[in-house]
Amino acid sequence: MNTPLDDELRKALRPVDPDEGFAERVMRRIDSTPAPLQRRPRWFPALPVALAASALLGTILIYAWHAEREQQRQGLEARRQLIEALHITGEKLDLAYRGVNGETRPPAPDDTGA
Amino acid sequence: MKGDEPRGAADSLDRARSGDRVAFATLVRSHQRVVYSLALRMLSHRHEAEDLAQEVFMQLHRSLAGIQSDTHLLFWLRKVTTNLAIDRLRRDRKRATLPLDDDPGIADEPLESDPLLQRRLRELLALLPADPRAVVVLRYQEDLDPTEIAETLEMSLNTVKSHLRRSIATLREGLADSSVTPLSRDSL
Repeated sequence: MNTPLDDELRKALRPVDPDEGFAERVMRRIDSTPAPLQRRPRWFPALPVALAASALLGTILIYAWHAEREQQRQGLEARRQLIEALHITGEKLDLAYRGVNGETRPPAPDDTGA
Repeated sequence: MKGDEPRGAADSLDRARSGDRVAFATLVRSHQRVVYSLALRMLSHRHEAEDLAQEVFMQLHRSLAGIQSDTHLLFWLRKVTTNLAIDRLRRDRKRATLPLDDDPGIADEPLESDPLLQRRLRELLALLPADPRAVVVLRYQEDLDPTEIAETLEMSLNTVKSHLRRSIATLREGLADSSVTPLSRDSL
Protein backbone atom coordinates (compact mmCIF):
# COMPACT_ATOMS: atom_id res chain seq x y z
CA MET A 1 0.00 0.00 0.00
CA ASN A 2 1.33 3.40 -0.96
CA THR A 3 1.78 6.01 1.74
CA PRO A 4 1.54 9.73 0.95
CA LEU A 5 5.32 9.85 1.23
CA ASP A 6 5.66 7.15 -1.46
CA ASP A 7 3.48 9.24 -3.78
CA GLU A 8 5.42 12.41 -3.06
CA LEU A 9 8.70 10.60 -3.68
CA ARG A 10 7.46 9.33 -7.05
CA LYS A 11 6.49 12.86 -8.00
CA ALA A 12 9.77 14.31 -6.74
CA LEU A 13 11.79 11.70 -8.61
CA ARG A 14 9.83 11.63 -11.84
CA PRO A 15 12.12 11.17 -14.85
CA VAL A 16 13.23 14.28 -16.69
CA ASP A 17 14.73 14.73 -20.14
CA PRO A 18 18.24 16.01 -20.72
CA ASP A 19 18.71 19.27 -22.59
CA GLU A 20 17.84 19.32 -26.29
CA GLY A 21 20.41 17.65 -28.56
CA PHE A 22 21.70 15.13 -26.00
CA ALA A 23 21.97 12.26 -28.50
CA GLU A 24 23.88 14.47 -30.94
CA ARG A 25 26.30 15.46 -28.17
CA VAL A 26 26.81 11.78 -27.31
CA MET A 27 27.52 10.94 -30.96
CA ARG A 28 29.98 13.85 -31.25
CA ARG A 29 31.78 12.69 -28.11
CA ILE A 30 31.97 9.15 -29.44
CA ASP A 31 33.36 10.47 -32.75
CA SER A 32 35.96 12.62 -31.00
CA THR A 33 37.17 9.80 -28.77
CA PRO A 34 39.89 7.74 -30.41
CA ALA A 35 38.99 4.10 -30.82
CA PRO A 36 40.68 1.92 -28.24
CA LEU A 37 43.82 0.27 -29.57
CA GLN A 38 43.52 -3.27 -30.85
CA ARG A 39 43.70 -5.30 -27.71
CA ARG A 40 46.83 -7.39 -27.63
CA PRO A 41 47.26 -10.52 -25.62
CA ARG A 42 48.21 -9.72 -22.05
CA TRP A 43 51.59 -11.39 -22.47
CA PHE A 44 52.43 -9.51 -25.66
CA PRO A 45 54.49 -6.64 -24.18
CA ALA A 46 56.55 -9.18 -22.22
CA LEU A 47 57.49 -11.20 -25.30
CA PRO A 48 60.49 -9.12 -26.48
CA VAL A 49 61.72 -8.83 -22.91
CA ALA A 50 61.42 -12.59 -22.44
CA LEU A 51 63.29 -13.24 -25.70
CA ALA A 52 66.08 -10.83 -24.73
CA ALA A 53 66.29 -12.37 -21.27
CA SER A 54 66.48 -15.88 -22.78
CA ALA A 55 69.26 -14.82 -25.16
CA LEU A 56 71.18 -13.19 -22.33
CA LEU A 57 70.73 -16.22 -20.11
CA GLY A 58 71.91 -18.52 -22.92
CA THR A 59 75.01 -16.41 -23.49
CA ILE A 60 75.81 -16.41 -19.79
CA LEU A 61 75.38 -20.21 -19.57
CA ILE A 62 77.61 -20.83 -22.60
CA TYR A 63 80.25 -18.47 -21.22
CA ALA A 64 80.11 -20.14 -17.82
CA TRP A 65 80.37 -23.60 -19.38
CA HIS A 66 83.31 -22.49 -21.49
CA ALA A 67 85.04 -20.86 -18.51
CA GLU A 68 84.58 -24.01 -16.48
CA ARG A 69 86.04 -26.16 -19.28
CA GLU A 70 89.04 -23.83 -19.55
CA GLN A 71 89.54 -23.89 -15.79
CA GLN A 72 89.36 -27.67 -15.84
CA ARG A 73 91.91 -27.86 -18.66
CA GLN A 74 94.24 -25.48 -16.82
CA GLY A 75 93.84 -27.55 -13.66
CA LEU A 76 94.76 -30.75 -15.48
CA GLU A 77 97.79 -29.07 -17.08
CA ALA A 78 98.95 -27.75 -13.70
CA ARG A 79 98.53 -31.21 -12.21
CA ARG A 80 100.51 -32.77 -15.00
CA GLN A 81 103.29 -30.20 -14.55
CA LEU A 82 103.30 -30.76 -10.80
CA ILE A 83 103.60 -34.51 -11.20
CA GLU A 84 106.42 -34.07 -13.67
CA ALA A 85 108.19 -31.64 -11.33
CA LEU A 86 107.81 -34.05 -8.43
CA HIS A 87 109.13 -36.84 -10.57
CA ILE A 88 112.23 -34.83 -11.54
CA THR A 89 112.76 -33.72 -7.96
CA GLY A 90 112.50 -37.34 -6.80
CA GLU A 91 115.13 -38.39 -9.26
CA LYS A 92 117.48 -35.58 -8.19
CA LEU A 93 117.01 -36.43 -4.54
CA ASP A 94 117.67 -40.05 -5.21
CA LEU A 95 120.87 -39.17 -7.04
CA ALA A 96 122.02 -36.88 -4.25
CA TYR A 97 121.29 -39.58 -1.66
CA ARG A 98 123.41 -42.06 -3.46
CA GLY A 99 126.26 -39.55 -3.79
CA VAL A 100 126.20 -38.82 -0.09
CA ASN A 101 126.24 -42.51 0.83
CA GLY A 102 129.25 -43.25 -1.50
CA GLU A 103 127.30 -45.46 -3.71
CA THR A 104 128.76 -45.73 -7.10
CA ARG A 105 126.76 -45.41 -10.04
CA PRO A 106 126.13 -48.68 -11.69
CA PRO A 107 128.56 -48.97 -14.52
CA ALA A 108 127.37 -47.92 -17.79
CA PRO A 109 127.40 -50.62 -20.44
CA ASP A 110 130.25 -48.90 -22.30
CA ASP A 111 132.47 -48.49 -19.12
CA THR A 112 133.38 -52.21 -18.79
CA GLY A 113 136.63 -52.18 -20.80
CA ALA A 114 138.25 -49.08 -19.28
CA MET B 1 9.49 2.11 -16.56
CA LYS B 2 9.94 -1.61 -16.70
CA GLY B 3 11.58 -2.92 -19.85
CA ASP B 4 9.16 -3.99 -22.50
CA GLU B 5 10.61 -4.97 -25.84
CA PRO B 6 8.96 -3.32 -28.82
CA ARG B 7 10.08 -4.61 -32.19
CA GLY B 8 11.54 -1.22 -33.19
CA ALA B 9 13.82 -1.11 -30.18
CA ALA B 10 15.08 -4.62 -30.87
CA ASP B 11 15.71 -3.67 -34.50
CA SER B 12 17.62 -0.58 -33.43
CA LEU B 13 19.72 -2.73 -31.11
CA ASP B 14 20.47 -5.24 -33.88
CA ARG B 15 21.41 -2.50 -36.33
CA ALA B 16 23.45 -0.60 -33.74
CA ARG B 17 25.36 -3.80 -32.96
CA SER B 18 26.27 -4.09 -36.62
CA GLY B 19 27.72 -0.55 -36.58
CA ASP B 20 24.74 1.53 -37.71
CA ARG B 21 25.29 5.01 -36.23
CA VAL B 22 21.73 6.18 -36.84
CA ALA B 23 20.42 3.13 -35.00
CA PHE B 24 22.73 3.82 -32.08
CA ALA B 25 21.54 7.44 -31.93
CA THR B 26 17.98 6.09 -31.87
CA LEU B 27 18.91 3.86 -28.95
CA VAL B 28 20.37 6.87 -27.14
CA ARG B 29 17.21 8.90 -27.69
CA SER B 30 14.95 6.12 -26.48
CA HIS B 31 16.91 5.60 -23.25
CA GLN B 32 18.37 9.05 -22.53
CA ARG B 33 15.53 9.94 -20.18
CA VAL B 34 16.16 6.95 -17.89
CA VAL B 35 19.92 7.38 -17.87
CA TYR B 36 19.94 11.15 -17.44
CA SER B 37 17.27 11.09 -14.72
CA LEU B 38 19.14 8.43 -12.74
CA ALA B 39 22.35 10.43 -13.04
CA LEU B 40 20.60 13.66 -12.10
CA ARG B 41 18.87 12.25 -9.03
CA MET B 42 22.09 10.61 -7.90
CA LEU B 43 24.43 13.57 -8.49
CA SER B 44 21.94 16.47 -8.05
CA HIS B 45 23.83 18.48 -10.63
CA ARG B 46 22.72 19.02 -14.23
CA HIS B 47 26.11 19.32 -15.87
CA GLU B 48 27.60 16.38 -14.01
CA ALA B 49 24.50 14.33 -14.77
CA GLU B 50 24.83 15.15 -18.47
CA ASP B 51 28.52 14.23 -18.39
CA LEU B 52 27.83 10.95 -16.61
CA ALA B 53 24.95 10.09 -18.94
CA GLN B 54 27.20 10.69 -21.95
CA GLU B 55 29.85 8.48 -20.39
CA VAL B 56 27.29 5.71 -19.90
CA PHE B 57 26.33 5.81 -23.59
CA MET B 58 29.98 5.85 -24.60
CA GLN B 59 30.50 2.70 -22.55
CA LEU B 60 27.40 1.24 -24.16
CA HIS B 61 28.86 1.97 -27.60
CA ARG B 62 31.92 -0.09 -26.66
CA SER B 63 29.86 -2.87 -25.05
CA LEU B 64 27.08 -3.32 -27.60
CA ALA B 65 28.30 -6.78 -28.60
CA GLY B 66 27.46 -8.08 -25.13
CA ILE B 67 23.91 -6.69 -25.01
CA GLN B 68 21.46 -9.46 -25.78
CA SER B 69 18.06 -7.76 -25.78
CA ASP B 70 16.35 -4.46 -25.08
CA THR B 71 15.42 -5.72 -21.61
CA HIS B 72 19.05 -6.53 -21.00
CA LEU B 73 19.98 -3.11 -22.38
CA LEU B 74 17.71 -1.33 -19.89
CA PHE B 75 19.08 -3.44 -17.02
CA TRP B 76 22.65 -2.70 -18.20
CA LEU B 77 22.00 1.05 -18.46
CA ARG B 78 20.49 1.27 -14.98
CA LYS B 79 23.30 -0.78 -13.51
CA VAL B 80 26.14 1.13 -15.17
CA THR B 81 24.57 4.53 -14.48
CA THR B 82 24.03 3.88 -10.77
CA ASN B 83 27.45 2.28 -10.35
CA LEU B 84 29.23 5.17 -12.07
CA ALA B 85 27.22 7.67 -10.01
CA ILE B 86 28.04 5.84 -6.78
CA ASP B 87 31.74 5.85 -7.75
CA ARG B 88 31.63 9.60 -8.39
CA LEU B 89 29.83 10.31 -5.13
CA ARG B 90 32.37 8.28 -3.18
CA ARG B 91 35.20 10.07 -4.97
CA ASP B 92 33.77 13.47 -4.21
CA ARG B 93 32.18 13.30 -0.78
CA LYS B 94 31.89 17.08 -0.60
CA ARG B 95 28.87 17.04 -2.88
CA ALA B 96 25.94 16.73 -0.53
CA THR B 97 23.76 19.73 -1.09
CA LEU B 98 21.60 20.69 -4.01
CA PRO B 99 22.42 24.13 -5.43
CA LEU B 100 19.32 26.33 -5.30
CA ASP B 101 19.47 27.33 -8.96
CA ASP B 102 20.33 23.84 -10.09
CA ASP B 103 17.29 22.01 -8.79
CA PRO B 104 16.01 20.22 -11.84
CA GLY B 105 12.45 20.38 -12.90
CA ILE B 106 11.15 22.81 -10.35
CA ALA B 107 9.65 24.98 -13.06
CA ASP B 108 7.60 22.18 -14.53
CA GLU B 109 6.25 20.49 -11.43
CA PRO B 110 2.84 18.89 -11.98
CA LEU B 111 0.06 21.17 -10.89
CA GLU B 112 -1.22 18.80 -8.22
CA SER B 113 2.15 18.63 -6.46
CA ASP B 114 3.77 21.00 -4.05
CA PRO B 115 7.00 22.32 -5.61
CA LEU B 116 8.55 23.15 -2.26
CA LEU B 117 7.81 19.68 -0.89
CA GLN B 118 9.25 18.05 -4.02
CA ARG B 119 12.30 20.19 -3.73
CA ARG B 120 12.77 19.44 -0.04
CA LEU B 121 12.50 15.72 -0.77
CA ARG B 122 15.22 16.00 -3.43
CA GLU B 123 17.40 17.96 -1.00
CA LEU B 124 16.96 15.31 1.66
CA LEU B 125 17.67 12.58 -0.89
CA ALA B 126 20.92 14.34 -1.80
CA LEU B 127 21.98 14.04 1.84
CA LEU B 128 21.70 10.25 1.85
CA PRO B 129 24.87 8.19 1.36
CA ALA B 130 25.46 6.86 -2.16
CA ASP B 131 24.13 3.31 -1.75
CA PRO B 132 20.83 4.15 0.00
CA ARG B 133 20.32 7.02 -2.45
CA ALA B 134 20.66 4.62 -5.37
CA VAL B 135 18.16 2.25 -3.75
CA VAL B 136 15.60 5.04 -3.25
CA VAL B 137 16.05 6.40 -6.77
CA LEU B 138 15.64 2.97 -8.36
CA ARG B 139 12.59 2.30 -6.19
CA TYR B 140 10.74 5.56 -6.79
CA GLN B 141 12.00 6.79 -10.14
CA GLU B 142 12.34 3.47 -11.95
CA ASP B 143 9.61 1.74 -9.94
CA LEU B 144 11.77 -1.36 -9.42
CA ASP B 145 10.87 -3.79 -6.67
CA PRO B 146 13.49 -4.68 -4.03
CA THR B 147 14.49 -7.89 -5.84
CA GLU B 148 15.19 -6.00 -9.07
CA ILE B 149 17.10 -3.33 -7.14
CA ALA B 150 19.20 -6.03 -5.48
CA GLU B 151 20.07 -7.47 -8.91
CA THR B 152 20.87 -4.07 -10.37
CA LEU B 153 23.10 -2.95 -7.51
CA GLU B 154 24.46 -6.43 -6.75
CA MET B 155 23.33 -6.19 -3.14
CA SER B 156 21.54 -8.71 -0.98
CA LEU B 157 17.77 -8.36 -0.77
CA ASN B 158 18.04 -7.74 2.97
CA THR B 159 20.50 -4.89 2.40
CA VAL B 160 18.14 -3.29 -0.11
CA LYS B 161 15.18 -3.58 2.25
CA SER B 162 17.24 -2.19 5.10
CA HIS B 163 18.42 0.79 3.00
CA LEU B 164 14.85 1.47 1.92
CA ARG B 165 13.46 1.31 5.46
CA ARG B 166 16.15 3.55 6.93
CA SER B 167 16.09 6.01 4.04
CA ILE B 168 12.32 6.44 4.24
CA ALA B 169 12.62 7.00 7.98
CA THR B 170 15.34 9.61 7.40
CA LEU B 171 13.31 11.39 4.73
CA ARG B 172 10.23 11.33 6.93
CA GLU B 173 12.16 12.84 9.83
CA GLY B 174 13.68 15.46 7.56
CA LEU B 175 10.29 16.47 6.25
CA ALA B 176 8.78 16.56 9.71
CA ASP B 177 11.59 18.83 10.89
CA SER B 178 11.21 21.21 7.98
CA SER B 179 8.45 23.72 7.61
CA VAL B 180 7.72 23.12 3.94
CA THR B 181 5.58 20.03 4.22
CA PRO B 182 1.85 20.48 4.02
CA LEU B 183 1.47 16.82 4.99
CA SER B 184 0.90 16.21 8.62
CA ARG B 185 3.45 14.16 10.51
CA ASP B 186 0.88 11.38 10.90
CA SER B 187 0.04 11.17 7.23
CA LEU B 188 3.72 10.73 6.31
